[in-house]
Amino acid sequence: MNVPVEEGYFRIPEEAGASPVLLGSYSPAAKTYFWPRRKRCPISLEAVEDCELSTEGEIYSWTFVVMPWLGSQEMDAGGGFGAGQVDLPEGVRIQAPLEGKMGDWAIGQKVRLVTRTVGKDEAGNELCTIAFRLVEGAK
Amino acid sequence: MSLGRDVYVIGVGMHRYGKHDVSRRDMHYTAGMAALEDASISFREVGALYTGYIGGNMLDGVTFAKDLGLTGLPVVHVENASATGSSAFREAVMAVAGGSSEVAMAIAFDGRLGNMAAAGGPRRPTMDTNLLPAAFFAFWAVRRMHDNGTTVETFAKIAAKNWNHARFNKYAERQAEQEITPEMVLAAPMVAYPHTAMMACGAGAGASAAIVATREVAEKLANGRPLVKVIASQMQSERYQPGHVFLGAIVGPSESTRITANLAYEEAGVGPNDLSLVHVHDAFPIEELMYYELLGICPDGEGDRLVAEGATAIGGRIPFSTDGGLIGRGHPGGPTGLAQIWDITQQLRGESGVRQVEGARLGLAHMMGAGSVCVVHILQKE
Repeated sequence: MNVPVEEGYFRIPEEAGASPVLLGSYSPAAKTYFWPRRKRCPISLEAVEDCELSTEGEIYSWTFVVMPWLGSQEMDAGGGFGAGQVDLPEGVRIQAPLEGKMGDWAIGQKVRLVTRTVGKDEAGNELCTIAFRLVEGAK
Repeated sequence: MSLGRDVYVIGVGMHRYGKHDVSRRDMHYTAGMAALEDASISFREVGALYTGYIGGNMLDGVTFAKDLGLTGLPVVHVENASATGSSAFREAVMAVAGGSSEVAMAIAFDGRLGNMAAAGGPRRPTMDTNLLPAAFFAFWAVRRMHDNGTTVETFAKIAAKNWNHARFNKYAERQAEQEITPEMVLAAPMVAYPHTAMMACGAGAGASAAIVATREVAEKLANGRPLVKVIASQMQSERYQPGHVFLGAIVGPSESTRITANLAYEEAGVGPNDLSLVHVHDAFPIEELMYYELLGICPDGEGDRLVAEGATAIGGRIPFSTDGGLIGRGHPGGPTGLAQIWDITQQLRGESGVRQVEGARLGLAHMMGAGSVCVVHILQKE
């Protein structure tokens, strides 16, 4: 079973192939969305409402990090992993690994959320973090 | 100063930065004693000590201070990520400005980053440790290349400059035997595109110290040397900006630098064109490039031109990272901000030898601390 590596940041839907859903906050006073959840609106200092955010966005920036995958001590076959900042339609910017290899990414490309395994817990569950995958056919 | 009394730097000291195995305690002692000797005072005359470190034991600061003496002075451990040394310095400045001490000291130290990580053992990944700082600053670089047409050669020129400044700093981690060229920087292994290993800051061990005092004390100890006055001390945490990132290895919006610097300029009554030299949190060259603009040294989008003209090298219009910066001198974590104060103080006194900035009168020190905070100090020769 896939479970988030930490609670409170995203949920994994039961439907096969469905994207993970980011758990965010919305400030009615500032008309602004946030991720991860805020205890108060950092702009207006008023209360916020829980919300769920879009599962697709656009690459704002990217890089390729030459180091082992999260939780691992050994470099994988790709010699590192991609990472990106992705802007969601709500105006929220997310930092997360990018699936693919060096040369695959460009600013403005459409991506969608997926889960990636970073280890197992004591009960044998697959611990997952979020990552982004290029949307097929998108420019 | 906003708190009342004028504050002067009366002593600075260093232990060499680098990948050596000198204990943190010994480095603390060396840097502390060097600052006391530079100020020509004994530890008995220090009214308060602010001790900064990121790794190690919570007792280390007050325990190591015993090596300097048991005088009963207040000792406070300050920790603010990469801005730890800058924050400890600011606390010392505030202690003197506020009237609680005539003389206050800041000492910061840290061991090798790798040793610190090993001491903690392998950790399970968390959402907050998804990505490392190398990725965060690479995001800035790739976006800059997209928006402004900045080239990797520009990043390499900045890194090579800082390596070459460090060649003539005996306390620097990276003291290359030969001149470093941008081509050598580009040929180094990639760490996070577009940054190569020679663009990444050194992450060895080290210690630095600074002592501040009232004008009366500073004048008494000057012994013919120019006085070095702290004319601005500002710190800001984050303010919301569009595209704000809340999670991960971050130093907050780049605008934090502009906001903090403007507060410092206002406090000091000077502007960016008045500065003689600048130190910044140049963990990667993209940072130094962006800080040229965010500090107001040049208009937005014109930082690349400064690099092309060599304006930010020693001998140029406005030298940056004159002791090598984080890239060349190194960045142990805790002490880095105090190394900036060490270099600026020596530059303003005219004691920097072949690295001397001619006619140096005003120096600005800028540090970011992950989490995040921005700290800016401006020092003036009197």
